Amino acid sequence: MFVLLRQLHRVRRQAGLPRRSDVRSLALRHVDAGSCNACEHELTAASAPAYDLQRFGLDIVASPRHADALLVTGAVTTRMSVALSRAYEAMPEPRLVVALGDCAIGCGVLADADELAAPLDELLPVDIRVPGCPPTPDAIAAAILARL
Amino acid sequence: MSQGAQHGVELQTVEAGVWREACAEALDSGARFACAYAGAAPGGREGLAWSAVFVRGPGVRVIRTDVETSVDSIVDLAPGADWDEREAHDGYGLDFDGHEPMRPLLVHDDDLETWTVPVTGEGVHQVAVGPIHAGVIESGHFRFHVVGERILALDPRLFYKHRGLERAAEGALVADGLAYALRACGACAVTNSVAYAQASEMAQGLVATRPMRRARTVLLELERLYNHLHDIAAICAGVGFAAGNMAFAALKERALRLNAQIGGHRFLFGTVSVGLNEFELGGVELQRARGVLRELRADTATAWRELEFAASFQARLDGVGELTIADARRLGSVGPAARASGMRIDTRTESPDLWYGSTFKAVALADPTGDVAARLQIRAAELEQSFEMLDDLLAEPVEGSPSEPTRAGAAPIGVARVESPRGETVCVCEADLGRVKRLHLRTGSYANWAGLANACAGELLPDFPLINKSFELCYACVDR
Repeated sequence: MFVLLRQLHRVRRQAGLPRRSDVRSLALRHVDAGSCNACEHELTAASAPAYDLQRFGLDIVASPRHADALLVTGAVTTRMSVALSRAYEAMPEPRLVVALGDCAIGCGVLADADELAAPLDELLPVDIRVPGCPPTPDAIAAAILARL
Repeated sequence: MSQGAQHGVELQTVEAGVWREACAEALDSGARFACAYAGAAPGGREGLAWSAVFVRGPGVRVIRTDVETSVDSIVDLAPGADWDEREAHDGYGLDFDGHEPMRPLLVHDDDLETWTVPVTGEGVHQVAVGPIHAGVIESGHFRFHVVGERILALDPRLFYKHRGLERAAEGALVADGLAYALRACGACAVTNSVAYAQASEMAQGLVATRPMRRARTVLLELERLYNHLHDIAAICAGVGFAAGNMAFAALKERALRLNAQIGGHRFLFGTVSVGLNEFELGGVELQRARGVLRELRADTATAWRELEFAASFQARLDGVGELTIADARRLGSVGPAARASGMRIDTRTESPDLWYGSTFKAVALADPTGDVAARLQIRAAELEQSFEMLDDLLAEPVEGSPSEPTRAGAAPIGVARVESPRGETVCVCEADLGRVKRLHLRTGSYANWAGLANACAGELLPDFPLINKSFELCYACVDR
């Protein structure tokens, strides 16, 4: 256990992450509306030691009812569109929608048109767009922080 | 009955009346069911072609029959064909005689009785989870039938992320079809790309040269490396062991950064092409990569030792989510999950178009208990094996190369099998005049969902996240 913690301490030292300079915060909820899982890997990495989103006051929360921003990954499939809109409706206002990754933005989506509901920005009001296939953890953090 | 042999794939077309018999014969001869798929009948004829792929050693046999609306089920002979038949029923309207009840898979019917297994008794109730989960997880729905906290049965409902990638790929240029296979899953992008590249090369009468085989093997092992590191982190997260979770997440991050450095992409997207290899590694960069891998190997070994001696962590893993070898075999499990149950199955031992060679041996546990602990152990052992292999592979430069034409020439069907971090992935590519006619991808995750549901029966509901993470199957790969 102590060896693991020492390893982590070294990771933190090498990453040299600046401490947060203010006290703002944003609670994030993620919905996978039809992604390839790469965006999920990068979003998970964003909370891991090398990036540590929490130091900016960004936290991934379990329920849309606790969330300020909805992070949507993937082109929205017909089968996910109902769950996506329910998650959005469950959020308190004011609320932000973040299109995470090229598919959610509607860039170069590979799919059978019959299986997709509609582009995300026709379904929900998109506030932040994070391009990339997938966007790197740095890009995810930067895009959200710019609007904080 | 007509038979046509090509390198590695034997296509056997039979009448619908003897289809079941032909499959039974293949299974009796020791072949294993690999996948089945429907497609348009050849030659523009009315109706559908229904094909099943059987494998034995490196040999592949495709048994095909023309069907109008129904065909005999083989689900009793090969229970692994359950989802394949249900998928063809929903996607192509094909009926299967003897597959009853035919529960929907792709079609999401609101009526619970159509798609769940009836579970009744005193105090039995259902717990519904998903498609959206509490963490950063892919979308899928789980319906648990429970008594108190004890799971009696689990009905997983996937395909929430079904993007119709196979249909979308139809008509694309063969070289462009790779993008559809790649985007099926980010975490298996290399496996899916290599499987598609090999299948489509076979269909075009091409074969990979030695430098191509080596390059693809390097990429496949780099993919296994970050996935196994991720999976160990996930199992730690599954019991709330934060130090282990974060330590292995940090190790995975280093593997991803190495990928970006040498392959230009953290998940190695775009490093595999059809008909050639463009991924090169030599000189200083090669030495640096080898050095990074050696450091990563040493730190992984240290972290793993710590996990082994974290008694409170280990105590949570023993005997949880057991999958017996009999069930694993019956349900068609593959990959680390099957090996953790004691099955000697690893497609890398049967991959002549890759660089594993005749000396490669699948990792086997001394005591394959088939529980979460065994699935964790097998990943650690395979990590060490992948590090060792990469060190050997990177002793020489990785070079670019075009593929070579085979003597057999173009074939009506190409089938490739590649071992992904989750097990055998089978890719079928049928091409016509340089365009994709049918693409079918059946990944290691697809094969293992039945085993996962089986392992959950009798376990506690709060242990599900742990059992789920010990399999760590992709949803995107399955849904396509």
